[in-house]
Amino acid sequence: MTGFIRFADSLSAWFGKAFAWLIVLMAFGTGYEVFVRYALNSPTPWALDVSFIMYGTLFMMGGAYTLSRGGHVRGDFLYRLWQPKTQAKVDLVLYLLFFFPGVTALILSGWKYASRSWGYAEVSINSPAGIPIYQFKTVMVAAGILLFIQGIAQVMRCILCIRTNQWLEPEEDIRETEDILLARATEAEKDAHP
Amino acid sequence: APAVLAQSPIVVKMQTSWPASDIWMDFAREYTTRVEEMSAGRLKIDLLPAGAVVGAFQVMDACNDGVLDAAHTVPVYWYGKHKAASFFGTGPVWGGSATTMLGWFYQGGGADLYRELTQDILGLNVYGFMGFPMYAQPFGWFKKEVSTVEDLQGFKYRTVGLAADLLQAMGMSVAQLPGGEIVPAMERGVIDAFEFNNPSSDSRFGAQDVAKNYYLSSYHQASESFEFLFNKDFFDDLDPDLQAILKYGVEAASTSNTASAMDNYSADLEKLQTEHGVTVHRTSKEILDAQLKAWDQLIADLEQDEFMKRIMDSQRAWVERVTYYELMNAPDYALAYEHYFPGKLKL
Amino acid sequence: MTDPQVALMMLGLFIFMVFLGFPIAFTLMAMGIGFGYYAYFDGARMWRAYNRLDETASWWDSTSLWIDGFFNNRIFDLFINQTYTVMSNEVLTAVPLFLFMGYIVERANIVDRLFTTLNIASRNVPGSMGVAALITCALFATATGIVGAVVTLMGLLALPAMLKARYDKSFASGIICAGGTLGILIPPSIMLIVYAAASGVSIVRLYAGALLPGFTLVGLYLAYVVGRSILQPKAAPRPTADEVPEVPFLRLAGMILTSFFPLAFLILAVLGSILFGLATPTEAASIGALGGILLAFAYRAMTFQRMRESVYLTVRTTAMVCWLFVGSYTFSSVFSYLGGEQVITEFVSGLDLTPLQFLLLAQLIIFLLGWPLEWSEIIIIFVPIFLPLLEIFGIDPLFFGILVALNLQTSFLTPPMAMSAYYLKGIAPPEIRLTQIFAGVMPFLFMVFVSMAIVYNFPQIVFYLPEQIYGR
Ligand code: NA
Ligand code: NA
Repeated sequence: MTGFIRFADSLSAWFGKAFAWLIVLMAFGTGYEVFVRYALNSPTPWALDVSFIMYGTLFMMGGAYTLSRGGHVRGDFLYRLWQPKTQAKVDLVLYLLFFFPGVTALILSGWKYASRSWGYAEVSINSPAGIPIYQFKTVMVAAGILLFIQGIAQVMRCILCIRTNQWLEPEEDIRETEDILLARATEAEKDAHP
Repeated sequence: APAVLAQSPIVVKMQTSWPASDIWMDFAREYTTRVEEMSAGRLKIDLLPAGAVVGAFQVMDACNDGVLDAAHTVPVYWYGKHKAASFFGTGPVWGGSATTMLGWFYQGGGADLYRELTQDILGLNVYGFMGFPMYAQPFGWFKKEVSTVEDLQGFKYRTVGLAADLLQAMGMSVAQLPGGEIVPAMERGVIDAFEFNNPSSDSRFGAQDVAKNYYLSSYHQASESFEFLFNKDFFDDLDPDLQAILKYGVEAASTSNTASAMDNYSADLEKLQTEHGVTVHRTSKEILDAQLKAWDQLIADLEQDEFMKRIMDSQRAWVERVTYYELMNAPDYALAYEHYFPGKLKL
Repeated sequence: MTDPQVALMMLGLFIFMVFLGFPIAFTLMAMGIGFGYYAYFDGARMWRAYNRLDETASWWDSTSLWIDGFFNNRIFDLFINQTYTVMSNEVLTAVPLFLFMGYIVERANIVDRLFTTLNIASRNVPGSMGVAALITCALFATATGIVGAVVTLMGLLALPAMLKARYDKSFASGIICAGGTLGILIPPSIMLIVYAAASGVSIVRLYAGALLPGFTLVGLYLAYVVGRSILQPKAAPRPTADEVPEVPFLRLAGMILTSFFPLAFLILAVLGSILFGLATPTEAASIGALGGILLAFAYRAMTFQRMRESVYLTVRTTAMVCWLFVGSYTFSSVFSYLGGEQVITEFVSGLDLTPLQFLLLAQLIIFLLGWPLEWSEIIIIFVPIFLPLLEIFGIDPLFFGILVALNLQTSFLTPPMAMSAYYLKGIAPPEIRLTQIFAGVMPFLFMVFVSMAIVYNFPQIVFYLPEQIYGR
């Protein structure tokens, strides 16, 4: 089980991080549009399409990565007071009841929607530049599959946690500034009171 | 939801591509009230504005899927699926008006080509009918005066369909947006000039608040009509008399929409000038010439496609004959107008 | 059970589910699909093909057609359509770019320079360190638009300095908690983009409208800090030359030029180009991100490691916000399809409230929701319930949005989920107790309510700039 969890974590992280770099492309691409518009008086016809395609791809493909790091927002004011075991039991039920049906619908219906779009090589309606969007619609399916795999790993996490009363944390990763500082402060405190 | 009583009317969920405040919602309502009256209450149309269920540009997908039973829209809004969609309204201006082209749809072979496009080529699960031949659409709203092609260079301009390709060829950068998003886009700097459709719709979404120069007369969209879409399964399941009511209701609404448009568009144009300080111009001959030349280029490109060539051949044959008659036969209305209301027209 | 009753049940069940602590985006998605399956259930249509089979059809054909029918519910198409609408939402494209800008600026070693400089510049003002901390927070929070990092960075930097200068512990921690949350209000705030996407109010008008109320709140905070320092000098003693050195004017000018101005200039460039329509918020955000990268290079703070951190954190936070939209678009579409919106509208209009009573009630509910929940959930899920009611009471959604933005400042400061206070507690020296932090935050909470009252009584504070810039 641990093996699969590690596999899913790294799969999600790999895709999430790879697509995260779109933000740099997006910053430069949009910056380029501003430059050619003001410096050369010739705006591009594609900037708008390209920016929403990058934004949409980025956040959809980051969904599973965010899930693996516990990044999706929860109303956890009660949840966090519970024992890990209790948390895991509740989570397990809700993953089966709430998570998989939605994600499965995303994959299957997304497939129907995207394949239709491939069928007529659909382009974006926003500009006459004819930017293709069938690949973009396929992102829904890809994001759904990643979430599905990560969801299985989360279920396994719950099962492990019910047994051991301890969550299997994801491996060390990039953290928010405040989390790094908080962790450092906790370390320091531990050192101060051995 | 389940548990529908046997006696209750069949509810048709129809969404438009227009914001709730647009006069076209009233036009759509002219259709729905006619249908409800003619069916003696057996049909009830639940009419919703853009965004109520799906976005303005997504009504074709929604009708195809059955998320909507029906839609009130224009074909250019789904031309991302196939450029030929634009020929049913926003195509090259051969010389005929929207009435001429609506005639082509019903008597000149247009409806067959439309069916071939939607059902055979794209495999869409819909029926579509056309109604209300619109007045030629103004070139639109600009912050400063524009009289030469040079003045247009670098503008970020809103239009739709092949008109977008056309104005891109003339040196503008074109964005396609639904009507409800035009003014916010103007404020956000997404666009800096735009056209939508007519004085009433334009003034209702606040065009006059963001630009003061209104250019009438243009070849970019001179022959559009509304498209009434129905989910095919939904339509097929209806009794034949109800099908007929939905179908011929389009023709009935077409006449009433035309009368409403005359009344409102003209009154609102007057109001824009007198109450909102909008300057109304006629688009310069230089720009109109450039538009026709740009259409020539576009036509040559589009004729590479066998299907699109077939549509254009059919349209040209129709216009060549019909408009010859129309123009040869038409008296000079401007002359009569000038005779009775001297000094008003500035053509 | 009638459809509207089902809709109310849907909402009630959702709130219960939130208490169970499952990731909300997926709760919304599943409930939207589940209740949507009921809402769009139409046996005749779904099993049309199955019903048309004749008796000779094989077992396989009839089974597979029956299963097809089961999945032939329109909710699945609606769900995909709504997901795609979020993916192609042009307003939300600014979210990752502003987040990226924030993460870069956070890592640009900017906050210590800024605080040191402002500390020296304001040394003769009563409560000088508090003033310096507040202005640093405000400026920094403006550039980053997120909360946690500002509070922790300032908590490590300004709090020890203030404690060393014998500031009252509560007072000092209150300043940092309150100052650190300003970023969600002052443009270019992420929260306002999210409100724009949820309400359809133009984002640029929201930005223009939030500017003066934001300054009003900062002004009230400053007035409180200075006022209390005058009335109670012991709470904020004047720092000694040892703690804050005296610096010759020219050197101070140089310090301001290198620390305060670059960031202020970046913020002004971003905001200015948005407000004057020179660039879309998305474009301005990309300029802000590129400018942030330049700034980080200039401060010799840009490393590949920091770039990577910023990139990866951007994707996680964006995914968090936008998946909430994916869930809520489907959920609220089904909720209104079932007539839930209608019921609430009828119920509230039946209460015979005056617009003021309605506004107070709405803001009270949002304030209370802010205790257990965070701003993203409140804006994306609960605020849209109020939006259709605004028209009945003749309240401008722009005005309402600004009040909500002010109000939600409190959601970071009120227990049990007072993120600002927790972050500060986490890094503060152990002798500072959580109760002291909460006590210090109280007066600032009060100032938030004062600012809301001022804005309510003088709506021109909100409308002046949008009217000046956009003419309506
Ligand atoms: Na138009
Ligand atoms: Na709270």
